[in-house]
Amino acid sequence: MFGYVLPPLQNLPEEETVRFRNMYCGLCHTLRRRYGLAARFILNYDFTFLAILLSDPQPPACEQRRCIASPFKKRPCACQTFALELAADESVILAYWQLRDGIADHRFFKGLKYRLSALVLAPAYRKARKLRPAFDQAVREELGHLSELEKARCDSVDAAAHPFAQLLAAAADSVSDPLRRRVLHQMLYHLGRWVYLIDAADDLKKDWAEGNYNPLVYRYQLTADRLDEQSRKSFAQTLDGSVHMVATAFELWDFGCWTRLLEATVYTGLFQVGKAVLDGSFQPAYLGKKIEIPRLLRNTHE
Amino acid sequence: MNDPYQVLGVPETATDEEVKKAYLKLARKYHPDNYHDNPLADLAQEKMKEINAAYEQITKMRGNTKGGTSASRSGYGGSARQSWSNQSATGSSVLQQVRMAINAGDLSRAEALLANYSDHNAEWNFLRGAICYRRGWLDEAQRYYTTACQMDPNNREYQAALDYLENQGQTAYRPNNAPFGTENCAGGDFCTKLCCAWLLCNGCGYGYWCY
Repeated sequence: MFGYVLPPLQNLPEEETVRFRNMYCGLCHTLRRRYGLAARFILNYDFTFLAILLSDPQPPACEQRRCIASPFKKRPCACQTFALELAADESVILAYWQLRDGIADHRFFKGLKYRLSALVLAPAYRKARKLRPAFDQAVREELGHLSELEKARCDSVDAAAHPFAQLLAAAADSVSDPLRRRVLHQMLYHLGRWVYLIDAADDLKKDWAEGNYNPLVYRYQLTADRLDEQSRKSFAQTLDGSVHMVATAFELWDFGCWTRLLEATVYTGLFQVGKAVLDGSFQPAYLGKKIEIPRLLRNTHE
Repeated sequence: MNDPYQVLGVPETATDEEVKKAYLKLARKYHPDNYHDNPLADLAQEKMKEINAAYEQITKMRGNTKGGTSASRSGYGGSARQSWSNQSATGSSVLQQVRMAINAGDLSRAEALLANYSDHNAEWNFLRGAICYRRGWLDEAQRYYTTACQMDPNNREYQAALDYLENQGQTAYRPNNAPFGTENCAGGDFCTKLCCAWLLCNGCGYGYWCY
């Protein structure tokens, strides 16, 4: 379900891509320090986005570190902060439950890779669960609701997207400022909704072929493995409504040095990814296969 | 009160024209039309007040009368759409209570009242839509609004709600006035580039794997 929330890095000035990369690296190091090497494979842009949302408005302090990707030359990365710790813990919980969901969705052999990954991630998950029991509880409950809706072949896209939206919104529960929590809650609810819907559109072909539940099939009473013109229009409108909600919430809090990155992601990145998914030209980045796009890589080694 | 220049995000040395431009940009962003029926509309309203006050203060400090479209006179702050009415269109007292509950932000109560109301007329559908919209259930909101409009095609309140939902791409604020919407995604160029980047990464195994 992850890998869709991308800042349009190619349209942003270098200063911003460097800031984003430092955060990405900072989250990676935080994951390693707290959960060991195995947990690093869950790292992706969505979790980086979450870390940014939870961060303080001031530019983060940076340190120079080596890592597996750059074993010889030290690279700058954001120092561990409360926001990074929170994002790391929540990422582990989300990724673990995402894998459990993969196991439940697949038969034994097809689900083998999920089983193995979940096994590797299990110790990290147990630790994260202890650190963030309330979030773990929320995620578990919402995923329970989701699987019930799936079993009932729910024909409302709103109802189907609700549990995932709720669980992502729960990521903001431990933010102390009530105003900020309210804004983040709304942003994350609609971001979660958008992610769930985009994921459904992205999986439509596969789900159709394999006979898996997909809310779009029931909502639009599809007779083929794609959205017809009218359904696509309606669906795009629903997506845009959620982006609008994310955007209007985003404007009500001062994210300081992150404003430009977030603004570009909300007003440009989501539309680009959404269009690519609807056109069938989006190449999904599966969990664990996350890679950096060439621009980032170039900056790293220059 | 905060420094009015800081509120508008301009230096004190900014020209009148620059101040006005900054003001108009912010006013467009926090305009009630951009936050209609939005659960965070109260926060946007606060922002709007702050911006209006800042602009008015600067105009006053500079002693501008020439070209001084004062915040209150420029019409910003008021919504183009009729504001939410507490008065039930069909005169039903239950539906009126539903409206009041929605207004007070008590969506569960509004929902419970509607569930017990057996006459699923146009207004009932409209109110269901309004509850869905506030909950962020936008697809269902649109379906209920559409039903309401079909049942009572002459009702302007229902039509305005549906229009707002369907035309978000045209009314929503977006920086630099770029078009808003998945299907209007700026320049197929960026999209193709993005996809190429992804294909390159995934297809050719180029890029590093962060294990």
